[in-house]
Amino acid sequence: MKELIAKAAGLLESNTVQVVIGYGQGSADRSRAIFITQPSDCEQLIFDSRCIQNLAVYLTKAEIKKMGKPAIVASIPVLRSIVQLAAENQLTNDSLVVLGVSPESQLVEFESLAAIESYLESHKIEIDEKYRKIIEDIKAKPVAERFAYWVKELEPCFKCYACRAACPLCYCTRCTVENNQPQWISVGSHPLGNLEWHIMRAMHLAGRCTDCEACYTACPMSIPIHLLTKSMLQDVNENFGSYGSSISKPNSLSSFNPDDKESFIR
Amino acid sequence: MSKIGVFICHCGENISATVDVEKVAEVAGTLDGVEYSTHYKYMCSDPGQSLIKQTIKEKGLTGVVVAACSPRMHEPTFRKACAEAGLNPYLCEMANLREHCSWVHEKSDATTQKASDIVRTLVEKVKHNKPLQSIKVPITKKALVIGGGIAGIQASLDIANAGHQVVLVEKDPSIGGHMSQLSETFPTLDCSQCILTPRMVEVAQHPNITMMTYSELEKLEGSIGNFKATIRKKAKSVDEKMCTGCGLCTTKCPNKKIPSEFNTGLGTRTAIYVPFPQAVPNKPVIDKANCTYYQKGKCKICEKTCPTGAICFDQEDEFVELEVGAIVVATGFNVMETSEFAEYGYGKYKDVINGLQFERLASASGPTLGEIRRPSDGKIPEKIVFIACAGSRDPAKGKPYCSKICCMYTAKHAMLYQHKVHGGHSYVFYMDIRAAGKNYDEFTRRAIVEDEVNYIRGRVSRVYEENGKLIVKGVDTLLNAKPVEIEADMVVLATAGVANPGSEELAQRMHISYDAYNFFSEAHPKLKPVETNTVGIFLAGACQAPKDIPETVSQASGAAAKVAILFSQDELSRDPAIAVVNRCAPPLFSTCVGCFMCATACPYNAIGEELIKNRNGEVIKRVAKVNPGLCQGCGTCVAFCRSKSIDIDGYTNEQMYSEVMALLNND
Amino acid sequence: MNEFEPKIVAFVCNWCTYAGADLTGTSRIKYAQNVKIIRFPCTGRIDFMLLLKAFSEGADGIIVSGCHPNDCHYTSGNFHARRRWITFRGLLDLLGIDVRRIQYSWVSAAEGAKWADIVNTTVTNISELGPYADYAKVANYLEKEANL
Repeated sequence: MKELIAKAAGLLESNTVQVVIGYGQGSADRSRAIFITQPSDCEQLIFDSRCIQNLAVYLTKAEIKKMGKPAIVASIPVLRSIVQLAAENQLTNDSLVVLGVSPESQLVEFESLAAIESYLESHKIEIDEKYRKIIEDIKAKPVAERFAYWVKELEPCFKCYACRAACPLCYCTRCTVENNQPQWISVGSHPLGNLEWHIMRAMHLAGRCTDCEACYTACPMSIPIHLLTKSMLQDVNENFGSYGSSISKPNSLSSFNPDDKESFIR
Repeated sequence: MSKIGVFICHCGENISATVDVEKVAEVAGTLDGVEYSTHYKYMCSDPGQSLIKQTIKEKGLTGVVVAACSPRMHEPTFRKACAEAGLNPYLCEMANLREHCSWVHEKSDATTQKASDIVRTLVEKVKHNKPLQSIKVPITKKALVIGGGIAGIQASLDIANAGHQVVLVEKDPSIGGHMSQLSETFPTLDCSQCILTPRMVEVAQHPNITMMTYSELEKLEGSIGNFKATIRKKAKSVDEKMCTGCGLCTTKCPNKKIPSEFNTGLGTRTAIYVPFPQAVPNKPVIDKANCTYYQKGKCKICEKTCPTGAICFDQEDEFVELEVGAIVVATGFNVMETSEFAEYGYGKYKDVINGLQFERLASASGPTLGEIRRPSDGKIPEKIVFIACAGSRDPAKGKPYCSKICCMYTAKHAMLYQHKVHGGHSYVFYMDIRAAGKNYDEFTRRAIVEDEVNYIRGRVSRVYEENGKLIVKGVDTLLNAKPVEIEADMVVLATAGVANPGSEELAQRMHISYDAYNFFSEAHPKLKPVETNTVGIFLAGACQAPKDIPETVSQASGAAAKVAILFSQDELSRDPAIAVVNRCAPPLFSTCVGCFMCATACPYNAIGEELIKNRNGEVIKRVAKVNPGLCQGCGTCVAFCRSKSIDIDGYTNEQMYSEVMALLNND
Repeated sequence: MNEFEPKIVAFVCNWCTYAGADLTGTSRIKYAQNVKIIRFPCTGRIDFMLLLKAFSEGADGIIVSGCHPNDCHYTSGNFHARRRWITFRGLLDLLGIDVRRIQYSWVSAAEGAKWADIVNTTVTNISELGPYADYAKVANYLEKEANL
């Protein structure tokens, strides 16, 4: 941790970056994201098991961009999001400094975004067995029961869009829900509106989601929306051979293999 | 405010026999936004079209729906009629009541209801139609042909004879390509050079053709009608204007043992050389890698010998920029080397050669002056084995395809051998005999019947050397897989046709598609064999796939015709149903966030970037931009865009949404 | 006696399936009436949201059809569409939206008979499955509330 603080302070002092995005002490016993502009304030940086928020979400926010070049404290989920953002042309090697934190809480430095991608080769996404089982059990139900299950699960959703705000890959300045010509998604928090929103969100994350679970953590009603994204991740991996995209390879959905297999097209 | 006109056609009785057209017209008249609704027996006829034009003018219509046959039939007809009446043609849509309704259902209320539904759907769509203008792109009437083999030669001559300027770029010192290396061509057995060289000379002398040999494409920018190509003219070290082609330098050059590329390594050449005697242009170049002066700083004998002082050692590569409107890619192909066959000796047996090498042996101007002699000791082979399908049709060698020409040239080689070596024995190991062209099967029959070539249906598992002979171990499947062993003096492998080295880089430089074997991809395998997905770039010859000379010439003329079609217009007029990225007021400028997923999905590379700058020139935002000259209007980008920032005129999000809504809602 | 007449929307591409359906017409092959076609330039253009909209507006079944792989008029639109459908279908299946109600097919411009067959088979299947009441209930929540 001391290494991280020292490095962050050094970057600010030399004006290599103008803001450090990291975790700090929050209210009660929570941690929160902090944005440090003074080298001396770097002392506030913490890193422990409470620090699960995906900080990469701030990299695309206009308010942060205005502050200047950022350095970002990045655990594995954050690193994955950074690589995905870079693959989508939102970040370049010069636009940020990444202060990686390994699973053993050691500082890891990267000279380029491609280096992060190589590092992540040894920390690949793995869908936990527990979730695979839950998804399998849901799929085992008969169709009508499955539908009723989800309509009920999605009922508490009141369209706060916290899931959208927390997801680092939701950086569109105008979301599809904000389109009213035509009105693609019913905006009300009723069964149809909830269903359409969550289907659209999951589809827009297909081939891009990095399984950070920020959406689920952010949901005030604890709706298991991460099951949808995990199921997508599984499907994309099984059918197209990889989880997310990378800087060197295109997105699974916007590329194709002439030999893609399916059993349902006549 | 919409003022839509709906015109229901009876189509004689084709529609009115099963659909109550009067009722449909009546119901359409009650729809919100419909100003006028009527029916008529033949909408596409003169009076029918006049009715539409008149109504447009009298009622001030803002949109027209003609409910009749399929739009694939008459959409252009009715759009033209609307344009003549002063209504933008893209404000006219057709509802398909014939092919999709009256012809496929029985007469009933339900059929009439379906017809009404279809009309209602298109009325809702038309309300969202926008007036569009055909996109005009200017055209530079000059063509670039890359590759000077028979394909490039044919294409250049055709385009030049059509009255347009052509620049022909060839990477070797002479044009002619592989055809100039052939001895005789099937199925007529005419001398290849005899039919080729007159064309080569025609190219050199044609007033509309500028030849650039020993040159390559360095860079390509721009799009159809307006390409900018940078050509690297490699330094020949010879001043072409001073050189008379006397050839004295080539006789005096001390470096004589360089393997000749033209003779496929079976003969030698000097460092300053002309690739073959009939070369066009017949002026030498210096091979810097093998020249004593360039490598060691000593010699210069050619300079001393040259009577006109044409040798120029300090000549450097020159870059020429060309502005052209169309490009024909005719870079040809190559054949696999014998060294790629472990089972046939890894290339270490001198007397195991490939088809192109055999051509040089059989060629009157070749290293053996046309006599079939073993490369190892110069003796004439008494027994010669030809192995067809060496590498082709072989997934294990990574080439599952058929190379098309080998069955024919193997028969030809066997026949030439039999003609030159009376009393010689030739064997062909084959899988199938593919002789599908005109007079082709008769040709292969001749080899078997008249020239007594032994055709054995089976493959060869191994060739190895023993006591100066090549032992060929094969099998005869027509005799129940009987093993066959032949002690041959020479083995000729009909190796697979492959793409030239450097094809992948060239394709990437030109942004054209290529397949897994690095052959260039045509735009549509059946209906667009000479176009690529990059509009304005056409294909000719074996660079697209292995093929014989008649097909190559046909394809080259086809490509030339496409170029001529392009150049017959002063401006390129394209269908305006293309994608557009939205722009809106500052500070947002566009809802596009620059993720470029659309660009990765576009089959035509039509989406690039646009930098939105403020008044000080600083970049605020990087967004996607569609090149209207390249976009073909498929709309795949639109379906990918998460923020719905890109839309396609003619099939906008609003239009498609309103169609779905209208289709399912009767009220 | 099944009185139920399903409402089916077909999303088809202009170059293959639309032309194939035209051929069915010119060949005068008769088929069930329940399918109405919406024309797209390419299957790559078909937004998955439109399929959901079709269901929410009362469609009981959907047909999505385009050019065979390798035959797309725009080269690769149908390849992208295929990946999108594989992904979308998986998601719908997890959510319990009845994927049996969506028939995907490749119908070329020469396959007039195949189009008629696809239509007839789909209509039969959807008739057996019945009206899509579950989705209609969700889509017409307001009416449901008003009926209380």
